[in-house]
Amino acid sequence: MSEGNLIKVGSPYVPDELKDTVTLTSLDHAIDALGELLSPVISPVANLARSNSVWPLTFGTSCCAIEMMCVGMSAFDISRFGSEVFRATPRQADMILTAGTITRKMAPALITLYEQMPEPKYVIAMGACTITGGMFNDSYSVVQGVDRIIPVDVYLPGCPPRPEAILDALLKLQQKIRTENYHERKKRTYNQRAVRYVDYDTGKLVDDLVEEARQEADAVLAGGATIALKSEEKQAEASEKKD
Amino acid sequence: MTHDAKPPAQPEAPLEPGQYGQFLKEHGIATNRLADSCGIETIAIQAEHLPSALKLLRNSQEVKLDLLITVSGVDNNETFDSVYHLWSYSHTNELVIKVMIKKTDVPEGKLPMVPSISNFWSAANWHERETYDLVGIRYSGHPYLRRILNPWDWEGHPLRRDYKQPVDGLNDKNPHSFR
Repeated sequence: MSEGNLIKVGSPYVPDELKDTVTLTSLDHAIDALGELLSPVISPVANLARSNSVWPLTFGTSCCAIEMMCVGMSAFDISRFGSEVFRATPRQADMILTAGTITRKMAPALITLYEQMPEPKYVIAMGACTITGGMFNDSYSVVQGVDRIIPVDVYLPGCPPRPEAILDALLKLQQKIRTENYHERKKRTYNQRAVRYVDYDTGKLVDDLVEEARQEADAVLAGGATIALKSEEKQAEASEKKD
Repeated sequence: MTHDAKPPAQPEAPLEPGQYGQFLKEHGIATNRLADSCGIETIAIQAEHLPSALKLLRNSQEVKLDLLITVSGVDNNETFDSVYHLWSYSHTNELVIKVMIKKTDVPEGKLPMVPSISNFWSAANWHERETYDLVGIRYSGHPYLRRILNPWDWEGHPLRRDYKQPVDGLNDKNPHSFR
């Protein structure tokens, strides 16, 4: 059986030079089709289960983290809503509460954490600093809102928000999870990636770096073209002299 | 004219050296007393005398200023100041030492140079790195003078008066900004 038989219509595009090494099976598509078929039945049940066990990531960069700790303690007790398990690794977390100011130095690390979380993943932007930069909005070192680097599901204002407000944001997120269709979400998976990437070494946006590199390449190419033109001109002049 | 021209500034009489200024003078280090900051004796000192003066002040039983509270930097209009706050546990007394470097003395494209004291006073290590990071004073002889708060390749020194902060996708210019 050749690999070509396995590649079905609607499968991801594979370049010709890679077709020898890439094998696409139709099993994923079958599962997807089955999921789409069953999603009206499965989604309500699965969403109920998922919305009542939203495990947050242990992530706190400043004073909002104190309220985040407080909401985990017995006075407010986030475990009533199934989110008491603060995971120490993004690979086991469903939700990230961005508790605190995100500086330009922290932005690449936050993007890495977000990218390491498995789908479905949710973000609650907690506190004024992560919504707009807060009182550090005009600072040289602070990212003006975490939604500039990762997509946000629930905005939770306050400086810092009370623990009740965190519970309210969690309930809003649970509503959102219950009303969504996981199959529809999966189609949008690419959009769930980080909005912007920041380079670790330079702290600049990767888009900007790519643009810089492109401009440099264009400049080099343009320079090479002018050199080529000059040599052609010289040849032309030489031929004229000969004539 | 609504306001009269100011009378010519009278040359202030140089302040009498205080306790620590007198002590340093006895040991052959010239200092210049400045106005007291919050009731604390404040002296200005030449950069090359700084390490010997600090060693004297720390080790002498007479004054025993044995705690370095902080090293900080100031960008004044004409000078860069490197400021040292010293504290004495045994005499419960405090001293502020300033090393003032004129901006006109700093060559174009270079940073002002102050001798590092972190070789004999290790508390100053991170303070000097922070001052280098934010104000841009280069401490000569520091074992590891690298940016401590900002990313290592940050451009410029943010607490300087002529600093222009980056405007890009993460931090664009606020229309109500003062900068």
